[in-house]
Amino acid sequence: MATLEDFTVREKPQWCPGCGDFAINMAIKNALVEIGAEPHNTVIVSGVGCSGKMPHYVRSYGFESLHGRSLPPASGIKLANHELNVISVGGDGDGYGIGMGHFIHIMRRNYDLTYIVHDNQVYGLTTGQAAPTTQKGMRTKSTPYGNLEDPVHPLPIALTMGATYVARGFAGDLKHLSALIAGGIKHKGFALIDVLQPCVTFNKLNTYQYWQQRCYKLEDKGHDASDHAKAMEKANEDWTSNYEKIPIGLFYKENKPTYESELPQLKTPLLKHGIKPVGLEAAMDEFI
Amino acid sequence: MEFTWIIGAEAGAGSMVTGRTLAKVFARGGYHVIGYPEYPSLIRGGHNTYQIRASDKEIHSPVKKNDVVVALNRDGIIFHREHINKGGVLIYDSEIDASSIRMPEGVSVFPVPLKQIIEQNKLDPRMANTITVGISLGLIDYPMDDFFKLLEKEFSRKSKEIVDLNVKAAKAGYDYVKGNFKGNFSIKFKPMKNDGNTIVIGGNEAFALGAVAGGVKMFAAYPMTPASSVLHYLAEKERDFNIVVKQTEDEIAAVEYAIGAAYAGVRAGTSTSGGGFSLMVESLGLSALSETPVVVFLSQRPGPSTCLPTWTEQGDLRFALHASQGEFLRVLIAPGTVDEEFYLGAEAFNFAEKYQLPVIVMSDKFLSESHFSARKFEPSKVKIERGEIASNPKALKPMERFERYKITKSGISPRTFPGTQNGMHVATSYEHREDSFSSENFENRVEMVDKRARKQKLLEKDIPLPKIYGKKDAPISIICWGSQLLPALDALPILEAKGVHANVIHFAYLYPLPKRIRALLKAAKNTIMIENNSTAQFAGMLKEFLSFRPNVLALKYDGRQFFPDEVADAVEKAKADKFRRKVMRVVDKGEYEYYNPALYSEVR
Repeated sequence: MATLEDFTVREKPQWCPGCGDFAINMAIKNALVEIGAEPHNTVIVSGVGCSGKMPHYVRSYGFESLHGRSLPPASGIKLANHELNVISVGGDGDGYGIGMGHFIHIMRRNYDLTYIVHDNQVYGLTTGQAAPTTQKGMRTKSTPYGNLEDPVHPLPIALTMGATYVARGFAGDLKHLSALIAGGIKHKGFALIDVLQPCVTFNKLNTYQYWQQRCYKLEDKGHDASDHAKAMEKANEDWTSNYEKIPIGLFYKENKPTYESELPQLKTPLLKHGIKPVGLEAAMDEFI
Repeated sequence: MEFTWIIGAEAGAGSMVTGRTLAKVFARGGYHVIGYPEYPSLIRGGHNTYQIRASDKEIHSPVKKNDVVVALNRDGIIFHREHINKGGVLIYDSEIDASSIRMPEGVSVFPVPLKQIIEQNKLDPRMANTITVGISLGLIDYPMDDFFKLLEKEFSRKSKEIVDLNVKAAKAGYDYVKGNFKGNFSIKFKPMKNDGNTIVIGGNEAFALGAVAGGVKMFAAYPMTPASSVLHYLAEKERDFNIVVKQTEDEIAAVEYAIGAAYAGVRAGTSTSGGGFSLMVESLGLSALSETPVVVFLSQRPGPSTCLPTWTEQGDLRFALHASQGEFLRVLIAPGTVDEEFYLGAEAFNFAEKYQLPVIVMSDKFLSESHFSARKFEPSKVKIERGEIASNPKALKPMERFERYKITKSGISPRTFPGTQNGMHVATSYEHREDSFSSENFENRVEMVDKRARKQKLLEKDIPLPKIYGKKDAPISIICWGSQLLPALDALPILEAKGVHANVIHFAYLYPLPKRIRALLKAAKNTIMIENNSTAQFAGMLKEFLSFRPNVLALKYDGRQFFPDEVADAVEKAKADKFRRKVMRVVDKGEYEYYNPALYSEVR
């Protein structure tokens, strides 16, 4: 059984002191230990941004792709070897902005992988521009007169697009977040865990205190995660309550066949097929 | 002995399938065959053509003139009437009101009452195509057995009734021509001996088979003409070949799926045309920096932008050579034949894995979508070389990572795949240390740049020399790359008949260009380079990398490939001009203007 130490790297994460990313990093490692994963059968895939540094800070296999492109290589990895634990991470700009197309479409496929979004409502690594999840009116470097756009609401989108595990965590509650991520990895299908993650440097609105005052746990209110309509209502509660009440926890969970399970070619992982001589005689006869 | 036939009909009338079936008939009869489709960018209406050229001698390319023209619509008569050989036949549907159309001279004009034949025999109107094949086979006295067998093969999946009706349609056409054709048509064809191992295949399908023979396990793509049939073919066969084929949301995802799968240890690729390739550009750099192999099949069409989506050009070479920011090594391969699409297509995966870099296989609409007779490919001739893989790395200390990017003499560092114990590392788009951790250390940066660049030395040893077709010491050499080999080869006998001796120097490996090629080029006496673009892109590369300048450049960029007579003409002109340095531009006349109101006014 792998321990926390097995997933620990020598290098200190290069995030700002107090950044919510530290908690997400720890939560991922906690979750991996809890589900009994091994460093060599785990792949952390990321795009580029502050969240993109995650593969370097978990000692496992990792793939640090391009900005916004965390999900496509994660999908390719999963199709090539579906016995791996594939965890994709992204930021709100990375995943809900430039990578939004991939996000929408991957949920129609229900690959068995986990997607963790560091949702800090701002672009951090490029020093504080408006993000797709930035609230209306917020002043940022790119919206000095206040953001004129309404934010993207990832959870209702996920529920609409058929995600089979939809959760929201808070980087200020490590234990709760670790459990949500462990649940996502264990879930057979596509799991989204949107994580409210304070950017202590560039977001002066959505601070730890801001979330602590507003967040409550769905499980404390007896939420039924198998009820899609209820889940949708809760997923819209943050913005419909004008950000007074923000639910965190597991919104929705559904058992549905994964994409991989519907491909007869994937009885064994593609990687294990090896490269064997292929009989092309029958195929070529069709050209005669 | 040669026979050229063309069918022209509205898009959606099924003439492409019919044409291809007839091409197979001749291939079964032991003939060399070319099947050549042309079509505008729409699904119904417009004007589609499919040309077949069959010969008992080796042929490689379509030609402009036909012995038999089959026109199922009025455009068919107007567009093709100038392209009928003397003594040829123009067959058209007598339903077409041709009273206002000028008919060609010196050919037999043969209206056929297709509607009547269909009604009399209780056929489906869509079987007009089949009737015209019966008519055409009747004209040349060619036995129908192989055509019947092919109809059975084609339609038996649908129903026996459809097979029988098509056979009936073919017979009705055959009988009609025997009873009613009063003209004089001298070309008669008989099946020859054939061992049954000749296939008729398009460049895209040949590449797809090559990829499978080369061990591809995951193929992801987004549709784009003229590359789509790679996706169609592999998707249809994914269960037979036991591979996974995925249509993705866009080309960025397609290439990144492939890179992800390759990182996880399986051979993977994608296919697209210029527009999609533009979207893949950033990811090429990811493949290069993370040293993850990927094969991108790029079937070119004219650009920039959407441009002429269903026509052909070799305009993306410089783009493929330089695509993506930064400096990195890549391999460019441009097959010249369907055989090369198969064998070099398979080889592309070896290059990608051995040298851990992106490989771009460049085709174009002409080679991708035309059909060519070829000997069955032999997968047993494909060698798989996966390069350096560490399957059992030594134990790691706590907190330590595998040195995936180890500085080596060759520049190649052994790979590990997820699942391998003690192989943990990050494949990253950032500059990195030997153990894959991001690094902005200046010395490390230089070492890593040099390490990756060092791979070129070994790689160049692996790059084969260009092929010379014809006599090595011919006084004239036609230099070309990719698909333009085909018209160049067919220009040789035309020139030979006029006493002009030439050979063809063909580049299928376009980059890198090892210096040892220089001797071969310097040995050429008078040189003319043909390129299907307006800026002589490969000529520029020859100058840049090999300090070589061909005497004459002949460029064609009107949307079609060179035709053999155009190549021969260019050579003769260059010769008459004593091979003085010159750029020639080759332009077709505008008779194929599908949207030309002047032409339409004659019709309607």
